[in-house]
Amino acid sequence: MRYPAFALAEHLDHGLGDPRDPARPASFARCVALDSREEFPAEICAELDRLGLPRFYVPAEYGGELRSYEELLHAVRILARRDLTVAIGHGKTYLGAVSAWVGATPEQARRVGAEVLAGSVISLALTEREHGSDLLAGEVSAVPTGDGYRVDGEKWLINNASRGDLVCVLARTEPAGGTRGFSLLLVDKRRLAPGTFRCLPKERTHGVRGADISGIAFTGAEVPAEALLGATGAGPEIVLKSVQLTRTMCAAMSLGLADQALRLVLDFATGHRLYDRPLVDLPHANRTLTEAYVDLLIGEATSVLTARGIHATPGELSVTSAVAKYLVPTMMDRTIPRLGQVLGARALLTEDHADGLFQKIERDHRIVGIFDGNTLVNLNTLVNQFPGLVRGYRRGVVDPGLVDTVELARPLPDFDRSRLALLSRTGCSVVQHLPAAVAEVLELVDAGIAPPALAVQAETLAGLVDGLHERMAAYRPQPRQVPAEAFGMAGEYALAFAAAACLHLWLRNRHWLSDGPTAPLWADARWLRACLHRLIGQLRPATATGSGSDDGEDYDRLLPDLRAQHHEGRLFSLLPARLAEAGAQHSESPSRLAEPAPQASESPARSAGTAAQLSEVAR
Amino acid sequence: MTVDTAPVPGTAPALGSEPDLEAYLGDPHDPANPVGYPAVLAADERGELLAEGERALDGYGLNAEFVPRALGGRFDRADRLAQVLRAVFRRDTTLGVGYGVTTFIAATPVWTSGTAEQRRWMADLLLRHGKASAGYNELAHGTDFGRAALQARLDGDHFVVTGRKEMVGNLSRADAVTLFARTDDRLGSRSHSHLLLDMAALPAAHRRHLRRYHTAGVRGVLLGGLEFTDCPVPADAVVGDLGSAMETVLRAFQVTRGVLPGMAVGIVDTQLRTVLRFALDRRLYGMPVAELPHARATLVDGFLDLLISDCLATVVARALHVLPEQTSVYSAAVKYLVPKLLQEAAHRLSVVLGARSYLRDGPYAIFQKNLRDLLAATLTHASAAVCQATIIPQLPRLAQQGWRSSPPPPPALFRLADPLPPLDFAGLGLSARGMDSLTATLREYLAGPGNDPAVARLCGLFTAELDRLAEVCAELPPRDRTVIAGRRSFDLTDRYATVLAAAACLGVWWHNQDDPFLRDTPWLLAALSRLAGRLGLDPGAAPDGLERHLFIELLERHEENRGFDLVNRHLAG
Amino acid sequence: MSGTIQDTSVEAIRTWLVGRIAFYLQRSAEEIDADAPLVEIGLDSVYAMTLSGDVEERFDLEVEPTMAWDHPTVNALAGYLHGLLGSRG
Ligand SMILES: Cc1cc2nc3c(=O)[nH]c(=O)nc-3n(C[C@H](O)[C@H](O)[C@H](O)COP(=O)(O)OP(=O)(O)OC[C@H]3O[C@@H](n4cnc5c(N)ncnc54)[C@H](O)[C@@H]3O)c2cc1C
Ligand SMILES: Cc1cc2nc3c(=O)[nH]c(=O)nc-3n(C[C@H](O)[C@H](O)[C@H](O)COP(=O)(O)OP(=O)(O)OC[C@H]3O[C@@H](n4cnc5c(N)ncnc54)[C@H](O)[C@@H]3O)c2cc1C
Repeated sequence: MRYPAFALAEHLDHGLGDPRDPARPASFARCVALDSREEFPAEICAELDRLGLPRFYVPAEYGGELRSYEELLHAVRILARRDLTVAIGHGKTYLGAVSAWVGATPEQARRVGAEVLAGSVISLALTEREHGSDLLAGEVSAVPTGDGYRVDGEKWLINNASRGDLVCVLARTEPAGGTRGFSLLLVDKRRLAPGTFRCLPKERTHGVRGADISGIAFTGAEVPAEALLGATGAGPEIVLKSVQLTRTMCAAMSLGLADQALRLVLDFATGHRLYDRPLVDLPHANRTLTEAYVDLLIGEATSVLTARGIHATPGELSVTSAVAKYLVPTMMDRTIPRLGQVLGARALLTEDHADGLFQKIERDHRIVGIFDGNTLVNLNTLVNQFPGLVRGYRRGVVDPGLVDTVELARPLPDFDRSRLALLSRTGCSVVQHLPAAVAEVLELVDAGIAPPALAVQAETLAGLVDGLHERMAAYRPQPRQVPAEAFGMAGEYALAFAAAACLHLWLRNRHWLSDGPTAPLWADARWLRACLHRLIGQLRPATATGSGSDDGEDYDRLLPDLRAQHHEGRLFSLLPARLAEAGAQHSESPSRLAEPAPQASESPARSAGTAAQLSEVAR
Repeated sequence: MTVDTAPVPGTAPALGSEPDLEAYLGDPHDPANPVGYPAVLAADERGELLAEGERALDGYGLNAEFVPRALGGRFDRADRLAQVLRAVFRRDTTLGVGYGVTTFIAATPVWTSGTAEQRRWMADLLLRHGKASAGYNELAHGTDFGRAALQARLDGDHFVVTGRKEMVGNLSRADAVTLFARTDDRLGSRSHSHLLLDMAALPAAHRRHLRRYHTAGVRGVLLGGLEFTDCPVPADAVVGDLGSAMETVLRAFQVTRGVLPGMAVGIVDTQLRTVLRFALDRRLYGMPVAELPHARATLVDGFLDLLISDCLATVVARALHVLPEQTSVYSAAVKYLVPKLLQEAAHRLSVVLGARSYLRDGPYAIFQKNLRDLLAATLTHASAAVCQATIIPQLPRLAQQGWRSSPPPPPALFRLADPLPPLDFAGLGLSARGMDSLTATLREYLAGPGNDPAVARLCGLFTAELDRLAEVCAELPPRDRTVIAGRRSFDLTDRYATVLAAAACLGVWWHNQDDPFLRDTPWLLAALSRLAGRLGLDPGAAPDGLERHLFIELLERHEENRGFDLVNRHLAG
Repeated sequence: MSGTIQDTSVEAIRTWLVGRIAFYLQRSAEEIDADAPLVEIGLDSVYAMTLSGDVEERFDLEVEPTMAWDHPTVNALAGYLHGLLGSRG
């Protein structure tokens, strides 16, 4: 049984090699060292070029090999799992180019595609020093000159602004501004007259310290007319559609980082002994681990359905991408520090424990919720669509594309940019189909196919989601002074989406996934029950002491699966994916990874010694 | 050791006076201030303790704060100690931990169990700005002290010490080390002793410094390691009876764990001020961010979290004096809950600060440093799990007695201006024996005449919660009372600690009716509602204008440059 | 558990202690070796202190929380408690 959408991720991961081998350019040890020196991971990015990653940034119709956003999602995930600086330092070119895929003429898009395939670095410049989320307040201007534009002003906090060959700039083309007053220009820095632009110094950042987070200032920079992407004044619209694609990919970054964090803590918890037993045998500690695992599975379900929706239900992406970009980073912002609590003081070490990787993950991850539309911007997008979401839910609207979205074994239709919309006309089918999914679960329980506990959960969920929609219906939209409660409801909506996504995924895929390495997870709806347990717990205000008799056995049941995926060098996932840590791609022999993790509690002498050895090899 | 003259604006305080450390440290934003944020940030980037900061604290005589008055220092009140150190944490957590806390942790066991000579020696050392290290940690055993391996074998008139300590503050430059050593091979709780080492007198050939451990937070703190090989140590170095270290730790750490959270309040005080500054300056959609309802609610919630944290921290610190037999539970609860509340508040504030929370330069750069430092301060000295695990075994007995029938505490527990009896380190109870007077305050208030109905309604939520907790904790399955307790027990300690915080807020409001801010009921209602919400209890609709009221208070304090804590005093700059 | 005093013979105290320890460790009473250090059979220092609470309630007797540290086996504890109870008369 294979899950083909992992193919690209596996190709890249195995191509970069075992990250625990310090001799590899893309090893954890090297990535941490680059970070502490604030050095751009140029060698690793070059390796990714060699592995052909840029081809997957360019849609097939424009000359590349991007056919599946599901595949791209996992690729971003696997890179972030290794090093977020690499993922964004390289992946930024997709962000820079995406406006062309969404809004340029086909001929222009092919030209941009050729640039990407040739290895050019493209960045996207929306933000200015004084203006972030409020795109329509931007001050960088582009004044028509007859045969092109003259660009003035400064874009700041831009990833790869200095390293980039081209910069996709959102500029004011109408002095009065407004929704039709901004346009996108793909500025080729290589062709600007000297003295008309200046790259700003790299900003020193909390995480992703090696990334080129800088800016660019234009002073009368002349750009040719063909730099304009799409129509004059189409900038905001193209941007808002483009971010529907990129925000989905941001969720993948969170998945990758949290996956690595969980692996590190599991390594430690298996080897470290307290009170005469391995830490992993202390129930409180292993509960934190299984909860993190469940968070990862929830995040995966949410992201995978959103990514497939890019193909199958693109009209709903304004909703689903906001859900994914809000929910997954927010969840992992909480999960990763909790994992750090289990690691204890070692979570802080920058060199001594496991290459000092954990503290880097913790710092790196915080950016995911901030850039490309922060938490509140995404929640606000949902709040703005409450009326349509309530309508869709009440009428039970379901886009026919939902079938392809949720059934992983089905081939996906090609992505069709003309179906992207700023507001969803059909609401959100994943949530709107929840009542039907609940009914189906109840039938399966009646038929003795699904465990009875699932029926209780499904019904509880249905009640909570009904209630949420009632509260959403009572909300009277306010343009700017959005009350805090509305953001709260939008957050709940995202949880409801995640729960529905889990239900659909299980219902539509449990047959074909009932064998293969992840089969135990699917048996008995094991993963689903834990995910629903967690989501219901978050949707429902904490219950009073003593009211819940349940001890969270749903989580404990996942511990063997978690540990098996850990030992076997697989991604923490509902689906089978072999990591480079597991050894050569085609040797299925589990070899050394099948051995239990080191039992002896690590002596500091050893860890220090290992670190020294590692750095020796690195030299 | 000579006393450097401090290169800071203030004058060095005389012993015995009530010096103002905040004013002494000067305007944090002044680029010319050698202990301002720019200097603090630069030192952090270099991974160094700010040298000017250390000199300034020497000049102020910070170590004297750790030395009991009877021994010539300024320590007479644990709550005051937290407040003084809060000024340091507000400025630079790295200094707070690397200069302050480390020494305090090392000295406390000596105050608790040391001989008169040992106490005199330690006091003199601190008063001349010496450095003491707390040598507990061994990476392989962490907080499982019972398995600590570094060995001290008694051989005639001296111990022979062999083994290593790791990730210990200031070890490389300590004048004294309070060393936790195994003095008996047997497993058990009488197998370890504290040795008070005079580092200058130890033969250099028998000890070796391990290299420094670098950390992502409090980057300047000098965490080192020390390896002893057959190192002779005089027999009279033992602190207290042979084999008594575990017991000493259980007492001394009540003080250190009980006081640290009150210091850490200073970190989030700065975080809140930084984000408020941003929210007032930054414009979005044509208005200041502070006018966006979500941002405003986040700021007010942050303010409440600070007040709640300070109430619990202050009350627990005072309890060390007033209810010493009960603080084994309270000190663990405060070290568990307050860092957690502070951490959550800082995270929410970071969402408002957005991209600026990610930049290491610019006007808000202190925020990212504090995020890292707060995490480090949280993990220092006792993790959440360890504190909770200290409370768990006491739950059944609290449930059977204390939560129903403990006598209410003396008002001095809450009256912030009241003097306190001296802290009797050796008198701290190893177990609370089922007593809990702090939560009895809730019942006392409810039973009293003429109580405020809105306050009483909220208090009723917490006493009802306590009743439910009592039912569950009394019937706790056996393994859930031990080291292999499941999540259920840990959750119970969280709920219990939240009730303790509510009782602390109530008491502080009730017994400080002469304080112009504290006597105000809205903050209490908002604080209790917030704690109720944390427990999933429905606090009912907030009174109209409550948030606005608190936001105005927050703005006023900001404009007048006062702290956001209970002390509510003027800050430097 | 009430404060009423039951049989205070060493044998009875031992049986009761074994019962409590078996309860905490979720083992059967037969598995508890009355001569093994409590730490070795799984009752770590802080947890050993809970025993003192049990004793206080069972025998209406105030003991040091560290009682089990100084008398670290069941037999030692039983002897110690018997001595205390006996002297109380
Ligand atoms: C900035 C800093 C300064 C320090 N300074 C000093 C110093 O001056 N002197 C010194 O001696 N040490 C010092 N330390 C070390 C510190 O005291 C240790 O961090 C502490 O002993 C905890 O150990 P640990 O985190 O290594 O984890 P361990 O104690 O080994 O625990 C590992 C994990 O198990 C968890 N755990 C523990 N009990 C349970 C349970 N019952 N159930 C579930 N999980 C559990 C813990 O939360 C932790 O996550 C310092 C540390 C830092 C970060
Ligand atoms: C490492 C890094 C890399 C970056 N890379 C790029 C890049 O490549 N290209 C690029 O163009 N930009 C980039 N940025 C900028 C980033 O995308 C923006 O900074 C961010 O999206 C905009 O938010 P802000 O934090 O600047 O805050 P602002 O937009 O100024 O908002 C301030 C605060 O107001 C609140 N707020 C915002 N909107 C709302 C709302 N609707 N309702 C309620 N409250 C709200 C939020 O709390 C927010 O934090 C990068 C930033 C960083 C740190």
